Amino acid sequence: MLAQAEDSWIDFNVGLFLDQFWSNTVDGLAYGSIYALIALGYTLVYGVLRLINFAHSEIFITGAFGAYFAMEALGLKPGPTARLGILEIIGFLLLMMAVAMIISGVSAVVLERVAYRPLRKRNAPTLVFLITAVGASFVIQQLFFVSRGANPEPALRLIRPTEVFTVFGARVTNIQLLVFVAALLLLVVADQFINRSRLGRGVRAVAQDPVTATLMGVNRERVIMLTFLIGGVLAGAAAVFYLLQIPQGVVYNGGFLLGIKAFTAAVLGGIGNLRGALLGGLLLGVVENYGQSLLGGEWRDIVAFVLLIVILMFRPTGILGESLGKARV
Amino acid sequence: MALLELNKMCVHYGRIQALSDITLHVEEGEIVSLIGANGAGKTTTMRAVSGIRPLSGGSVVFDGQDISKLRADLRVVRGISQSPEGRGVFPGMTVLENLEMGCYTRKDRAAIAEDFERVFDLFPRLAERKSQVGGTMSGGEQQMVAIGRALMARPRLLLLDEPSMGLAPQFIQQIFRIVKEINEQGTTVLLVEQNAQQALSRAHRGYVLETGRVVKTGTGAELLADPSIKEAYLGVA
Ligand SMILES: Nc1ncnc2c1ncn2[C@@H]1O[C@H](COP(=O)(O)OP(=O)(O)OP(=O)(O)O)[C@@H](O)[C@H]1O
Ligand SMILES: [Mg+2]
Repeated sequence: MLAQAEDSWIDFNVGLFLDQFWSNTVDGLAYGSIYALIALGYTLVYGVLRLINFAHSEIFITGAFGAYFAMEALGLKPGPTARLGILEIIGFLLLMMAVAMIISGVSAVVLERVAYRPLRKRNAPTLVFLITAVGASFVIQQLFFVSRGANPEPALRLIRPTEVFTVFGARVTNIQLLVFVAALLLLVVADQFINRSRLGRGVRAVAQDPVTATLMGVNRERVIMLTFLIGGVLAGAAAVFYLLQIPQGVVYNGGFLLGIKAFTAAVLGGIGNLRGALLGGLLLGVVENYGQSLLGGEWRDIVAFVLLIVILMFRPTGILGESLGKARV
Repeated sequence: MALLELNKMCVHYGRIQALSDITLHVEEGEIVSLIGANGAGKTTTMRAVSGIRPLSGGSVVFDGQDISKLRADLRVVRGISQSPEGRGVFPGMTVLENLEMGCYTRKDRAAIAEDFERVFDLFPRLAERKSQVGGTMSGGEQQMVAIGRALMARPRLLLLDEPSMGLAPQFIQQIFRIVKEINEQGTTVLLVEQNAQQALSRAHRGYVLETGRVVKTGTGAELLADPSIKEAYLGVA
């Protein structure tokens, strides 16, 4: 015996897992709503173009910077939470939402115009789109790095987290409740738009059969623009919810891991499927929290991806399957 | 003035020339049949008229205007709709949604409601299956969806690419009867068919395509009586 049995590399802390189960669930749902909102952008663009828009994470962080500068312009200072009346907070929030949604929406459309449309015009192969997407992601990230540096922006706090009620002893904060409800609302609106409206029908038609859609009088280019716009706007909303939960998270590469997680969520739920994005986002948010308390913090991201691989092994099309393209929801 | 005129129209797929100098015309109120063997260029002609395949030469004139460079989706607004080869039913949409796609560019609600009535009159089966998903319909039912959907555009020119493909004989009869009926209600029809006997006997005029060229034209009756056509397309020695 040369060495004593050291700490094993993996420990199951079942006690902690059970202790924190409900608070992990609450936190996971609140954070998972952000994944879900971002995941929708991946899923919509994938459904229509069969393209994984890797730069979507940067569309998100662009919105976060936008919302951050809006807060700054409104006079918020780093340090403790600002003392504001409820009406002021609501007004500030709406303004941040508007700014972030517009900035993200517009940058998504510009990205489409500048990076993808020229390739489409030339019938570029799929691989070229993919490389371009990765490239665009890096370019935007580095633009923020060059202009804002490597350090996160000092945290600006609009709302002080306070307990609203408890679920099985787990506290639910005002921020979590707000984020969860607002995200759910936005996702329902997007879902209804795609499934019920005339324009939404055009989006689904292009996803299911682009040539026939054109024969019906659908302008494919406009549909593509619309999907980037919707995805961008929702990423902008996600950016504000992110800022509320992680005020110190506005940094040039802040979108990277979140983007990958949201993409994972989209695949988990079934890429191309709007409701799958919601389900995948919430599930991922919750499961990575469980993994963290069961195995330790360093396992958080591993758990997320192991979950993905396991689910894809049993259901290659994700939990709900691909719906924008094939079956009805 | 013809409703549709193709003047020396050429289409290429990469380096392969699929159509060479196609010249034909369709008068308002006619049924014109396009027949030809596999690969003759019938579908390509339809695609070029709808604008989903660019021309490499010649022109497409619709209602007196050169539309050769007009975007495909805008040609639908002008009054050209197509039931494509292979039907193109949206698999994840219900029958009703598929039909609604047909009137995607229209805003005249009252007239749209009339057209729904008309399509359900022509195809009672579709009325029974409004909420069935396209992908689960049988081949014949999908063909009805595709034709009904093209009608929902209230087109001036209806392009039908092999509406009888894959259908049982009694169904084929029914489809051709309906095409006749649609035409009698005032829609001009350009019909592509493998089933030359049916296509020519229902049509006012016809064109025969061979390897991307028009090799013969005449009234339906003339072409049906032509010995070389009898031999090549009607299976009569
Ligand atoms: N996407 C394509 N790429 C390359 N060549 C094509 C393509 N589509 C058609 N062609 C070629 O163009 C020619 C005409 O094809 P088209 O589909 O118009 O024939 P068709 O008369 O409709 O035949 P069918 O009766 O079998 O439907 C054929 O030689 C075909 O191989
Ligand atoms: Mg064909």
